[in-house]
Amino acid sequence: MSIYLLIYFLIIVSAVLSVISKKLINSAIMLAVLSVGVSLLFFTYEAPWAGVFELSVCAGLITVIFISAVSLVKQDDEAFKENRVKYTIFPLILIIFAILSSIFVPDYFSKLSNFSIYLENQNEPVGKFIWLYRGVDIIGQLTLLSASVFVIKHIFKKKKTAEER
Amino acid sequence: MVVDFLSYSLIPLFSALAIPFIARKNKRLIELLSNVTLLSGLLNLSYILLSYLIKNNYETFTMDVYSFSMIFTIYLVGLSITFFSTHYGIENDTNPTSYYPLILIGVSAMSSIVIAQDIFTLYIFVEALSVVSFALITSDNSHTSIEASIKYFFLTFPASVLIIFGISILLLNHPNLDFSTIKDTSSKFLTIIALSMITVGFLIKSGIVPFHFWTPDVYQGAYSPISALLAGIITKIGGVYAIIKIGILISNSQLNYFISKILLLSGILSVLIGAFLAMIQKDFKRMLAYSSISQMGYIILAVATFTPLGIIAAVFHLINHATFKTVLFLNSACVEKQTGTTNILELKGLEHRMPTTAWTSIIAMMATAGIPPLSGFWSKLLIIVALWKNGNIYYAIIALIASIITLAYFMILQKKVFFGKLPEKFDGVKEAKFQLLIPVVVISGIIIFSGLFFDRVYSYLSRIV
Amino acid sequence: MNTNFSVDWFFISILFFTGAYCMVVSRNIIRLLIGFEIISKSAMIAIITAGQLSNNINLAQTLIIIMILIEVIVVATGLALIVKFYNNYQTIDIRKLINLKG
Repeated sequence: MSIYLLIYFLIIVSAVLSVISKKLINSAIMLAVLSVGVSLLFFTYEAPWAGVFELSVCAGLITVIFISAVSLVKQDDEAFKENRVKYTIFPLILIIFAILSSIFVPDYFSKLSNFSIYLENQNEPVGKFIWLYRGVDIIGQLTLLSASVFVIKHIFKKKKTAEER
Repeated sequence: MVVDFLSYSLIPLFSALAIPFIARKNKRLIELLSNVTLLSGLLNLSYILLSYLIKNNYETFTMDVYSFSMIFTIYLVGLSITFFSTHYGIENDTNPTSYYPLILIGVSAMSSIVIAQDIFTLYIFVEALSVVSFALITSDNSHTSIEASIKYFFLTFPASVLIIFGISILLLNHPNLDFSTIKDTSSKFLTIIALSMITVGFLIKSGIVPFHFWTPDVYQGAYSPISALLAGIITKIGGVYAIIKIGILISNSQLNYFISKILLLSGILSVLIGAFLAMIQKDFKRMLAYSSISQMGYIILAVATFTPLGIIAAVFHLINHATFKTVLFLNSACVEKQTGTTNILELKGLEHRMPTTAWTSIIAMMATAGIPPLSGFWSKLLIIVALWKNGNIYYAIIALIASIITLAYFMILQKKVFFGKLPEKFDGVKEAKFQLLIPVVVISGIIIFSGLFFDRVYSYLSRIV
Repeated sequence: MNTNFSVDWFFISILFFTGAYCMVVSRNIIRLLIGFEIISKSAMIAIITAGQLSNNINLAQTLIIIMILIEVIVVATGLALIVKFYNNYQTIDIRKLINLKG
């Protein structure tokens, strides 16, 4: 029980730090720490495949894409100040609300979990699930990947100069 | 997946993947390949459909009627947009090597949506469709189209999150996520909560009040042929299709009054707000966007009854509205290209110079307003009768009054825009090229014929439930 | 292995509201996308906890694998749109999206 609370604590702290940091690169690095925390959570729930995918893709690829985009969009950080002073009242209210609701809100969620059914005989391996039961999703992944190639090509097309027309 | 129709979704995908290799040899082959792919699919589908409609005998029709009608509509609208783009002159604005493959992948994703038997498969292809539409909206490099694309991106992502939360609640007591499993357990409390979250998610994606804030900006700002694709088929298959499918699944459940109330409330608000706000707009495309919101409200009202007549009326109105909005948006693209403006206050007397454009727009507008014997009249009549028979009498009366208001407004608009005296600055305006007018004439013919032969169409559609 | 489902979903809702706060408050479009990422992560944790409660963890893992792919493609598209927006407008302030009104 305690290992779950530690990982949840890491996730919440990195999310809060990513929201309140002033520079964009710090937010992107805190997002990577969040992804590592989520991946550790998947491992402790006995979902190793999901943990591996999350670690390699989200904590690696998305962080690289974010940092490259932040470098392409160079902007003076003092060009526009995000005036968050007037919004400071909301996090305080939210923190107090979070602490108070931890007493009676989990009751509602446990009522939701009472409806669940403990299914038997569901210990088939993941590979059989991916290929046999959800084989149609492979067509979905093919559609998504081919769509993404053409999408990136379409958004960054070159504008024809007057001579080329 | 229904295996009968698997080729309709795989063939556009493979021809989209083949286009970059062909484009190195000859640029004209791109347009030829994409048009031929969609045309062959449409000819195949219309041959099957017409042979059954003429014989009026459905003993041997073993396919799923709902999926079949949707694939027909997808191919019809897709072919119109591809044919229109070939002659519209998109080489000045965008790159054809990536434009045509994106439309083909969009058609493939939409065909896969309508043949899915599983709610997670539906979600995957809906996400693929929205990724394709983000790129297509910003086809030309103008300021308004990039703004429209960013607004569409950030205002429809809550739908994806809500659908995922709904699926996670479904995982609590379902061994798999098929539609037949959901239908068997449709009287349980947990299934209804999950399905209501999924329904609200798809309501956001289809532009219904109170989530309609992205619709006018996106339809106005997008590139003109893509506005026709977006309004004609993408917001329908990516939004309202799933709501009708859920409506078919929970028709016999004991607890469906909860979802019924959500749908009735949002439907009647959309009908009223769309009809009223369309009257004060000054831009033609924005007015068409608000009229789209109003017509989607009618479809949602029909689904909210959960009776067989309501479901048939909703599907028929969906197909009809796809044809109406395609004609109207393509004609506004023609008008914008010839006259250079879409401001209603400036356009006058266009019937003298552009007769075909004017008359097809008038047919589409009259059909939207619901004038017999066009097809719009029959679908609206079915919706109001379904509401009346189910006991929602006040909703039926309000829907009827809003329909009369829409009729009055469209009459005034036609008189202002198309008839009257032509101002001097439009003296040199010529009719658009005749190739640009072929799709709208064909679709107007479909509107007129499905209105005249409504009994055949009804006996075909009544096999949905 | 007997974790508490309600405690898990309480933390999921805290994470969700943190992401929503980040989206509402910020003026920089890239920070909006970071909030969008946080909300997507909370949705993924929801699927794993629900799958674990009903002993169906393998189906949940399969869904997560595909959702990670969708998320990467959507984030890449979003950042490409933002870079194109910067090329057109020379700023990444969200208050500048006022051209279409009415």
